[in-house]
Amino acid sequence: MVSGLSTLEMTPPLNAARETKSLDTMTTAPVRTATAIHIDDVSVSFPTGRKGCRTVLENISLDIEEGEFVVLLGETGCGKSTLLRLILGQDRPTSGRISVAGSLVQRVDARSSYVPQKYSLFPDRTVLENLAMGPETSKYHILGRLLPSFRAFRRQVREEALRQLSHMGLQASDAAKYPHQLSGGMQQRVAIAQALMMKSRVLLMDEAFSALDPATRSNLQRLLRTVWGETKPTVVFVTHNTAEALILGTRVIVLARQSREDHCGSRVALDMKLPASGMSLRNNGQQFLDLVEHVERFSRGDHHAPSADLDAANGPYESPNAFPSNGETL
Amino acid sequence: MANLSPFDIQARPNRLLMQAFSCLIFIVCIGFYMQTSISRHRENPEDRIVPSGHQLLAGIRSAVLEPAEEDDYIPADNASTWERVHHSMIWKDTVSSGRRFFISLFLLIPAVILALHIGLFPWFGAGFLRFVLFFDKIVALSLLPILFIVFGIDEWSKIALVVIGVAPTMILDVTQMVKAVPQEQIVKAFTLDANNFDVAYRVVFRQILPQVINSLRLNLKPMMLFLFAGEMIAASDGLAYRIAIMRRHMGMDIILPYVLWVAFLLFLIDFSLRVINRRLHPWFQA
Ligand SMILES: Nc1ncnc2c1ncn2[C@@H]1O[C@H](COP(=O)(O)OP(=O)(O)OP(=O)(O)O)[C@@H](O)[C@H]1O
Ligand SMILES: [Mg+2]
Repeated sequence: MVSGLSTLEMTPPLNAARETKSLDTMTTAPVRTATAIHIDDVSVSFPTGRKGCRTVLENISLDIEEGEFVVLLGETGCGKSTLLRLILGQDRPTSGRISVAGSLVQRVDARSSYVPQKYSLFPDRTVLENLAMGPETSKYHILGRLLPSFRAFRRQVREEALRQLSHMGLQASDAAKYPHQLSGGMQQRVAIAQALMMKSRVLLMDEAFSALDPATRSNLQRLLRTVWGETKPTVVFVTHNTAEALILGTRVIVLARQSREDHCGSRVALDMKLPASGMSLRNNGQQFLDLVEHVERFSRGDHHAPSADLDAANGPYESPNAFPSNGETL
Repeated sequence: MANLSPFDIQARPNRLLMQAFSCLIFIVCIGFYMQTSISRHRENPEDRIVPSGHQLLAGIRSAVLEPAEEDDYIPADNASTWERVHHSMIWKDTVSSGRRFFISLFLLIPAVILALHIGLFPWFGAGFLRFVLFFDKIVALSLLPILFIVFGIDEWSKIALVVIGVAPTMILDVTQMVKAVPQEQIVKAFTLDANNFDVAYRVVFRQILPQVINSLRLNLKPMMLFLFAGEMIAASDGLAYRIAIMRRHMGMDIILPYVLWVAFLLFLIDFSLRVINRRLHPWFQA
């Protein structure tokens, strides 16, 4: 938190970011809801060995608005999880600062909900207890549980948990099961339900669906989209999968490093709005495929030299700028 | 016919055969003992080193029904069997050893709590971990003279020996378990608005409790070892005291039943801990 105040000198973002920047300001010009997550010139580096230092993130500045569904994309090791941990408060940035819901992030707290890829549920609690855990502990801490009013409150929370459970497409008979008795897909359903029980406005997911088979995965993607549509929380979703990003998000952010050297961290290589109604291969067809390719080129970091032959084969090339303009319907 | 080769990993002997086979070494040992006993008694009918079945039975009877030598309790002629057992030598020894054992067990609880804090709270880790690591390397028995001076030679020096012997290892073990709890779980708990103590006791401790009990089960033997060492060196009652006394006049007829009795007691404690663990933590596998 020391060096966090020297944020006025904004380094110019990468070409692509600049490309979309004008559009970005254009779309944000109308009156919008408050900023949910504000990332201000954040850099992260880890010490390596004796003197060395490896920069992972470099001068990242982002404004994520209330109700946006942001998907973070990038190659492995580019610092997606690191960025998410920063927003969560688990790690501190080396410089720069981050605020969520209007206040600075200093430690992990209940401002954001979290769905990790693994270990997302408490193995020692049944599904129902897992769901009820959040509201119960936030109202009654460890000794508060001895209060007489706790029992009535608990009954109430459990009823709500059962409702949430059926809403997430699980049966009431699953409520008494332990996480190890559930399949991976069911576990992630419960984990999302557990996060939603807290009703916090920010939901952070780190490769939450990566360990699932394709069918379960697309089921859960649909579910997540539906759930997001209902209450419109701010979601930051980290994934490797470009198609998943396009299906889920209303905004795709690609992180990429410019070079392999240690001092060179990832920056925002692409920041693009997508139609709020969501995209899919079925509805958008060739456009979708082209966009996948376009985004992947950015995440590989070779966006300077578009491979003309491939694009020619794929028919007329859709500029990504077409989408941000669609995004104005947001 | 099943494959009978003992060096076949894929052999599938049938159940009955396996059961029978597992008893084999027991039977061989008992047979060997009886053989030795019989041949020694042929030379010297009064032999006490390898007591015969009769001598053993008499020894067990006197241990279970008669008071210890040093006691001046004389059972009334019409005393019931229960009353005799209640005042018997083995009863007295078991109670006094058991008391020391359970007090030490109880004193390990704060050690486990401390370990939880060391593993979870950075300040506790900074404050205690190095010291425990250092203290763990001290051979507890070498502290015995100091313990005698500090606690006197009665009960507390023995209890202190057990606790000092086992607690550092236990603390290090539990600290490892706490550190092995995935970071995601702790972060998740904080996002569910848990406070520090919720996380420590209702998330982490609950998760490691079955492992702690398993670690305790492994530590039963060292505990008993330290207890016996203490009792053999300075005590006026207790199972190990009796064994040490009996050695002086070659009372194998008492020593052997005592050894088996101790083994049985340990087995019983271990078994009940295992059952409790399974009942309490149905979610815990392996
Ligand atoms: N505690 C740490 N100490 C040193 N280096 C670290 C640490 N944590 C992360 N890194 C480095 O930071 C880089 C980014 O890691 P991060 O986990 O954020 O990548 P990622 O984009 O999430 O990758 P993946 O897609 O594989 O999950 C990696 O190169 C990693 O080596
Ligand atoms: Mg990651």
